[in-house]
Amino acid sequence: MRVDPIGALTELSFLVLLSLYQPRHGYAVMQFIEQETGGRLCLGAGSLYGALNNLADKGWIKALSGADPRRKEYIITSLGRQVVRGEMARLSELAAIAAQITGGE
Amino acid sequence: MSKKMYRFFYGFLDAQQRFLNRMAGKGWRLVRTGRLVYEFESCGPDAYSYCIDFVAHKSCRSSKDYQRFLEEMGYRVMTKPVNLNFSLGKVRFRPWGEGLGKVATAPGAFNKELLIVEKPSEGKPFKLHTSMEDRIAYYGTLRSAWTALALGLAAAAVYSFIRDEALWKSITWAILALVHLRPAVHSHHTLLALKSESEVTES
Repeated sequence: MRVDPIGALTELSFLVLLSLYQPRHGYAVMQFIEQETGGRLCLGAGSLYGALNNLADKGWIKALSGADPRRKEYIITSLGRQVVRGEMARLSELAAIAAQITGGE
Repeated sequence: MSKKMYRFFYGFLDAQQRFLNRMAGKGWRLVRTGRLVYEFESCGPDAYSYCIDFVAHKSCRSSKDYQRFLEEMGYRVMTKPVNLNFSLGKVRFRPWGEGLGKVATAPGAFNKELLIVEKPSEGKPFKLHTSMEDRIAYYGTLRSAWTALALGLAAAAVYSFIRDEALWKSITWAILALVHLRPAVHSHHTLLALKSESEVTES
C-alpha cells in the first residue's frame, strides 16, 4: 500500500510506532520510551492514551486480542512501518543537512 | 486511622491536586471522595502521588475506556463531580464536549467530570498530560468548558437585568459569571504559553 506524503511525525508518535515493532501494552510502551530516551522522555498516561488512539484511527497500529483481556496490546501495521521508514528518511536528510552546514562541529 | 475533610475546589483543579499531594506527603491516602468530602486513611508519608484529570468533555463510553486504560497502567482511579454544567433534570448539556460527550446523563457521565488518579510515589512528578499537542488539547478543553459556563451565567445576568428582576439577582448572576471566568482566563494564559512554546519546541 502506498503512503501519501505526510508531515513530520511528532517525537511521541515516532517513538510509539517504534515501540510497537513487537506487541506491547500501554505500560510497556511507556517503559520502552523512557528507557530508550535515557529517561529524557517520561510519558504521561493521558498523552499515551491519546497517541495510541490517534495512531489506531490512522491504521498505523492495531489492537491485538490478547490472552489477558485486562491489558490491551498493540502492534504496528504494515502502513505504520511505511510511515516509520518515511520518517527515518526525513530525519536522515535533516541530519545530513545539519552535518553539511556545521561541518560536524 | 482515618480522617474526613471537607473542601470545595470547584474549577481549581491544580489546587485540588496540591491538596491531595500535600495530604499524601503527611501520610494520608485518599480512600473515598464526594462533592465536598475527602476521606483519608493513614499510610506512610509520600507513599502515593495524585493527579487530577478533567474528562467532562468525553462521552460516558470514552471516559470509561480511558479509566480502564489508566487502571491497566497500575493506577487507582476515582471519579468526582466538579459541578460544572447546564442542568435540566438529570441531563446536562455540555456544548464544549466531544461527540456524545455534549450530553451527560445519570447514570452515565453525570457527576463524574473529574478523575482522581493515584499511583505509588516514585520520587518523580506525576503527570498525565506531557506531550505538547496533548497539553494544548487539554487546556483548550478546559478553556472552552469554563468560558461556556461563564458566558451562560453572564447571559443570565443580562436577561435578569432586562426583565427588571430584583437587582440582587442580576448581581448574583454577574458575580457567578466572574467567578467562572477566572479558571477560563487561567486556562487561556496556559494555552497561549504552550502554543508559543510549541512554535519552537515539541515536548
